[in-house]
Amino acid sequence: MKGQRVAVVGVGYSTIGRSTGLSLDDLAVEASIAAMADAGLKPTDIDGVATHCFPHQLVRPTRVADLLGIPDLGWYSGNFDGAAYVVAAHHGIAAVASGSCHTCLTIRSVHRMGASGGTRAWPADGIAGVDQFLVPYGDTTAAHWAAMYMQRHMHEFGTTPEQFGEFVIAQRDYAAANPDAIHRTPLTMDDYLSSRMIARPLHVLDCDYPVDAGSALIFTTEERARDMVHKPVFFESWAAGTTDVLDFHLLESMPQSSPWRAAQRMWSKTDLGPDDVNIAGLYDGFSFIAMQWMEALGFCGLGESGPFVEAGHTRPGGRLPTNTDGGACNVGRRHGANFFIEVTRQLRGECGDRQIPGASVGVVSNSVGGFAGCALMINE
Amino acid sequence: MPQTMLDGRVARHELRPAPDHLTAFFWEAALRHELAIQKCDGCGYFNHWPVPRCKKCWSTALSPTKVSGQATVYTFAVATQAFHPWFESRLPFVVAVIELAEQSGLKLVSNVIGCPVDDVHCGMAVEVTFEDVEEGFTLPMFRPAATRGLGQ
Repeated sequence: MKGQRVAVVGVGYSTIGRSTGLSLDDLAVEASIAAMADAGLKPTDIDGVATHCFPHQLVRPTRVADLLGIPDLGWYSGNFDGAAYVVAAHHGIAAVASGSCHTCLTIRSVHRMGASGGTRAWPADGIAGVDQFLVPYGDTTAAHWAAMYMQRHMHEFGTTPEQFGEFVIAQRDYAAANPDAIHRTPLTMDDYLSSRMIARPLHVLDCDYPVDAGSALIFTTEERARDMVHKPVFFESWAAGTTDVLDFHLLESMPQSSPWRAAQRMWSKTDLGPDDVNIAGLYDGFSFIAMQWMEALGFCGLGESGPFVEAGHTRPGGRLPTNTDGGACNVGRRHGANFFIEVTRQLRGECGDRQIPGASVGVVSNSVGGFAGCALMINE
Repeated sequence: MPQTMLDGRVARHELRPAPDHLTAFFWEAALRHELAIQKCDGCGYFNHWPVPRCKKCWSTALSPTKVSGQATVYTFAVATQAFHPWFESRLPFVVAVIELAEQSGLKLVSNVIGCPVDDVHCGMAVEVTFEDVEEGFTLPMFRPAATRGLGQ
């Protein structure tokens, strides 16, 4: 039993940029106001808030409600564990489906320098916790494990740098048609292959683009959604997944990490299958992650994402138009929320030059490695 | 083994581990040039990284146990950008996930040294070696396994 049917009725972003000068709370509030405007809702219409943040960047749902003038929350969740925005989404969906609240704001705020990575100051008294087994070896950023996932995929399945590059180039072409994207200049394969190598085989163009960003979506019940501004987009199924070994380096299989568990679980709770999907928003914190999701979700076989991408299947008219906003590599790191927002807009049919004709069933995903989550969205 | 940085200063390794009650044995063994992994007295399972209870049987009777150091490269990356000055003079270097021979799936993260970075490959046979970084700080690393040829 999935409880009540849950719809997305509002989506919105904050001001987004490399250095906005906005606090994490500001970003959350701006995005929430945009989502409420999109849905035509007032603060008194909201009775639930779910946030997801980095542990050191907590945005409290009660604080956001206070700043927005939401008078009373019947349910809220502030979370820092797991797979980024999809965690807030899953919490919000579950809360509405169960009747814990009727209309839930779900929020992801991120600051440019918030994610792991980049040059940072290290504590003078040594590296504690699990990092003590990584950092002394120069494994200091997510880019290092990402490169290792790519290398293992290349080893097991013969995936080529050009195939990763084709994914990057194809989603840049979508960004060119998205006025809100940050990177819009089309790329050539030579641009990709000659871009700065961070840790071979991972290029800088395989990485999402760090920005300050707030993203918000509003979920409500089907009954309420029917009376709102937009044609509702419904969650047909959703699921998380984790791995026996949590650590992203040490888990059993890099090519078959948590997305495989989440995808299997998501499909087990719906009569729909991969053949029904005609649009996708697959997390591209690093390019290979989106490609792992293509395999995990069953759009191609294990190890076949390289040829799948190379055949143009993620492009317009392909088997699975993917990341039609340009992905986080091009719209900036919004930690998963942009996939939910873009697929919602595609399923509403409001994407202009980049609209995929007939988009009716979409899949969205977030994260890789030790924890991941996904959802299936449908416009009727 | 202090490293000379690009600006000529000699950097002490700032990226030392801060051992705790669970991990101290690992670094103490490294000082003796031994690779030790936590092994469960109850069921024999190796746990890495160290845990307070065995993940298989929940026993708290866990003993640091010297392992052979024989291993294979599960995967690797060739770091070409330094995110701390210490690593500038080491570029390019190999960060790898190493699978130890003692137990299927028993992995740790280390560097592969002692060969050109282009020689490293998934499935490569390696063995533990030790780099004495500075006083009181030794890192277990891995190098190509000694060839076991005709003379065995």
